[in-house]
Amino acid sequence: MEKSIATLDIGTICSSWNYSGQRLATGLVNGTITIFDTTDPASSAFNQTFKFKVNDGSVAKVVWVPPEYGDAIACICSDGSLSIWEEVAEDNEPVQWKQCKSFGGPLDQVLDSQFGNSQSSLKLTVAYSNGLVKVYEILDSMNLKNWQLQAEFQNITDSVTKFGKGSCSSASISWSPQISEIRPASFVLGFNSDTPQLNSPKVWEFDQDHQRWLPVAELADPGDKGDQVYAVAWAPNIGRPYELIAVSTSKGISIWQMASNPDPNGRLSVEKAVTFPCIDNEVWQMEWDMSGMTLATTGTDGRVRLWQSNLNGVWHEQAVIEPTT
Amino acid sequence: MPGLLTNSDTQSSTIVPFSPEPPTLYNLHHGLTPPLAPRISISWSRGNSLRLSIFKSPDNHPQDEVGGKVVEVKVSGEDVEESGDGVKWRRIVYGSVSPFAHLQNKKNAFMAVSESMGYSSSYDAEWSKYVLEYSKEIKSLLGSRESSPAPLIEDPNTVLQNVEEPSSLKAAWELLEIFYADKHSQGWIPEQLVDWLSDYDSLLSGEMPTVYLRLVEFQAELVNIQVVEDHPAYWQAVSSALAVGWLDVVVNLLRLHGSYQLNQLGNRETENGLVEAVAVLVSKMPRMRADLPDGKLGECWYNKSEFMRAWEKWRGQITKLDCSSFWLQCSHHQTRESLKNLLQIMLGDTNALSSATCHWVELYIAHFLYIRPFTSGLESMHVLAQKCINLKPTSSPHKLMKLLDGIIGENTEVVLAECSRSFGPWMIAHATELLTAGSVQAEILLKEERDNLGGISIEESHRLVYAQVLSSHALTWQIAPIYLISCMKHGVGLLEILLYKQPVYHTQVLLKNIEICRLYDLDSVSANAMKIAGVHHWKHGRKGAGIYWLQQAGDEVRLNRIAQQLFDFVGKSISDESFEQWEGLIELLGSESRTAGGLEFLHRYRDFKKSLQQVQDGVLTDAARKAGEYLISLMKNPSTPQRFWLPLLYDSLKLLNLQERPLLNVSQTNLLLNKLQELSVARLRPDFVEVGLPPQALSSVRLALAANLGRATLEE
Repeated sequence: MEKSIATLDIGTICSSWNYSGQRLATGLVNGTITIFDTTDPASSAFNQTFKFKVNDGSVAKVVWVPPEYGDAIACICSDGSLSIWEEVAEDNEPVQWKQCKSFGGPLDQVLDSQFGNSQSSLKLTVAYSNGLVKVYEILDSMNLKNWQLQAEFQNITDSVTKFGKGSCSSASISWSPQISEIRPASFVLGFNSDTPQLNSPKVWEFDQDHQRWLPVAELADPGDKGDQVYAVAWAPNIGRPYELIAVSTSKGISIWQMASNPDPNGRLSVEKAVTFPCIDNEVWQMEWDMSGMTLATTGTDGRVRLWQSNLNGVWHEQAVIEPTT
Repeated sequence: MPGLLTNSDTQSSTIVPFSPEPPTLYNLHHGLTPPLAPRISISWSRGNSLRLSIFKSPDNHPQDEVGGKVVEVKVSGEDVEESGDGVKWRRIVYGSVSPFAHLQNKKNAFMAVSESMGYSSSYDAEWSKYVLEYSKEIKSLLGSRESSPAPLIEDPNTVLQNVEEPSSLKAAWELLEIFYADKHSQGWIPEQLVDWLSDYDSLLSGEMPTVYLRLVEFQAELVNIQVVEDHPAYWQAVSSALAVGWLDVVVNLLRLHGSYQLNQLGNRETENGLVEAVAVLVSKMPRMRADLPDGKLGECWYNKSEFMRAWEKWRGQITKLDCSSFWLQCSHHQTRESLKNLLQIMLGDTNALSSATCHWVELYIAHFLYIRPFTSGLESMHVLAQKCINLKPTSSPHKLMKLLDGIIGENTEVVLAECSRSFGPWMIAHATELLTAGSVQAEILLKEERDNLGGISIEESHRLVYAQVLSSHALTWQIAPIYLISCMKHGVGLLEILLYKQPVYHTQVLLKNIEICRLYDLDSVSANAMKIAGVHHWKHGRKGAGIYWLQQAGDEVRLNRIAQQLFDFVGKSISDESFEQWEGLIELLGSESRTAGGLEFLHRYRDFKKSLQQVQDGVLTDAARKAGEYLISLMKNPSTPQRFWLPLLYDSLKLLNLQERPLLNVSQTNLLLNKLQELSVARLRPDFVEVGLPPQALSSVRLALAANLGRATLEE
């Protein structure tokens, strides 16, 4: 059933595949990034092609930039910095990886960041350890060096109340995978913090008319809003009349259905489809397959679980993959 | 999404009653030595292929050479047993595309006709013809049609001879064809099942005793046996073969009887006569079917009443033989008893049939042959099947048995569940065509759009699942679109994602992508693919390819950014050798202003800059005159992007300020002033791109133009 496709260097602690699953970027504890490639699109044997240092500390997370903007990655490092690196060949030099931008640092540590690919431009959401969310936008679609801060807000639904700086240990962002001219850009974001109001996952939507971000839905039951959120994942939608968003909290994994179109108040109605309690298992990564029909999750128990809905629309745990030597 | 399917006989409002089954557990062997880091990283690739990065613990282990592994897992997919080798599997996958697509085209044509002309019952008949054609084409892919396990005895020691290794996929397909697709042969379903069992009883042997297995075992023993008729295994083999209707095997086995040997004939004449009489009766058994394959025994009767007469006559002959006084003269006890047992089988004695057969399907076939040759209609077939299942219960029935049970029980849910669970996504995606052709109830079940499935039908969801399987392999993803496009509601959505996820910076992949997009009118998808390829090439130093693909994509935004970069470059350095680098590029941009994205004017800009360089301050020369001409031509030409107007004019300040006499006449200066005015208006628009010029650039140009106009007016 399984096939080994790449061997990783000592000290590798994170990895990320590009949009086509043809390039792999891995992050190491010594602050190095390693890129793996195949020569032939039909092959599935990946070999190291580039290796470069991005930080003196450890790499914590790697995210690929959408392919319309080139071959580039964002690296979040243990010192809280976020830097964007791009693969380019300039002025007859050979192809190399160059840093084009850096955000964050010791004072406002970056916890998570994700790119949102809207029709018009590239956006980048960054969640900081003080509970702030910033959305940056690229100024020139052929140049990843220039970013403009588009918005800065806290992950709260009530825009009047402001909280002091929170202390967050992790955050999870997931952009709506749908690129559409009619639907506004939107993402879901949840925190794992000591400030309950910041935690619950909220869906943020860009209001083009007023050039601002608005919370349009909250994915938590009234009693669970303060639950710490470990991961969120927005499913691709190939034609369902509703969106599916998976949320992992201290209570377990929930799958939410959210209306694709807003009600008269501008809110998107949400309904929890299912919750699977996860005892002693902190689920820190969730990934939907390209059809949005299967959810894969992994957490502290070291197993990968697959979740599907059956023909009756009942969600269930379909399979468990247990790594063994 | 069809996940776990459970079968149940209870009828309820839900499609398939769901009972929570424990999840399947897979052990993933990665071969790394502990300690491992607790964190696994997961990522879906295309289709149903999931990639897991497993890291070793980052604590220092200097002796280690490997820090982790990435392992790819196909989480659902082709039946491993069926697809033992990928080549064979892909042959089936590729081969089934054309029959499937052909049938879809026919279906669309039929729908169009019935919409415009109204429904006609003749369509049904014609449609069944197409479905049967489709079924036969698919079946031919699953293995060559060599009927029966060819139980021949040419060499007296060969009881069974396998022509090909049968596959359970083909066996399942044949079952579906018999019951759903082959409308013309529905009267002969029992005889078709006899053939089916003779072809595939060997498949069931892996999990339970079968008649086939008995024969195989007997054949292995045969070399060591001197006098066969003394051995119970011989008689068991004969009676079993007879019970399931393998008449040629029976006759061949009977002729191994010792009484046929020349030296025995004298003193065992009566015994031999009885053996031969039974063999003749066996070979003359009336069969209600059109014909029999070569080498098969029995007498065929197409007409029911004729068959009845022949059947009665045959039974009469058996009874007559049974009552014959010759038995008393047969001194070989085992021969006598066993031959009488064979007669009982032929007379339809339930006990004899039950002890001669191993599992319920064999008993079922025996019933058709010897007790109820006229069984027809699924309801009576189902009653009979239940009786046989009760007589020969199995704790863990074979998947083919479960499928057969579902089919004759008219339980479409169970048939679907069995197809999907036991035979995989390929089977279910292709078999729904047979099922829907078979019954209205199945058609409703499969084609009804369901909220539970996000608004799609079960049929569509199975096709999507199969398309996912195809998508996950580099050699099969190209055929996934054919299945996706047959999915009315979600197919195009998934196709767009599949196409988006292709590595289009490989040109052959991009070309394939474009071809598929053209077939299905997915212009925006192909434009995006070309954009991705264009940006990749541009950033990797393949500037020409980059511009070419961005032009093809019609990406004016990115082309304008590139134009800006080129303009800046040409503006800064116009020495010939550095310009050569860009020359080819500018050449490539061609002269079609529509697709050039505002780049083709760079030619003229280069010439303009060259002349401008030769202009000596304040002196009117040929070079200055030429530069002036270039400037006017550039400003007149609609392909010169508006945002370059000001930089051009600003570059030309020294031309406008010539001391000797004005370079431009009144109308030329007016043209430039008008352009400047247009520019001032354009600046108010939000999409205006500011160029990096000094803030006073506009006013100094305006001043110079005004001065020039004044001087030109005076001169004229």
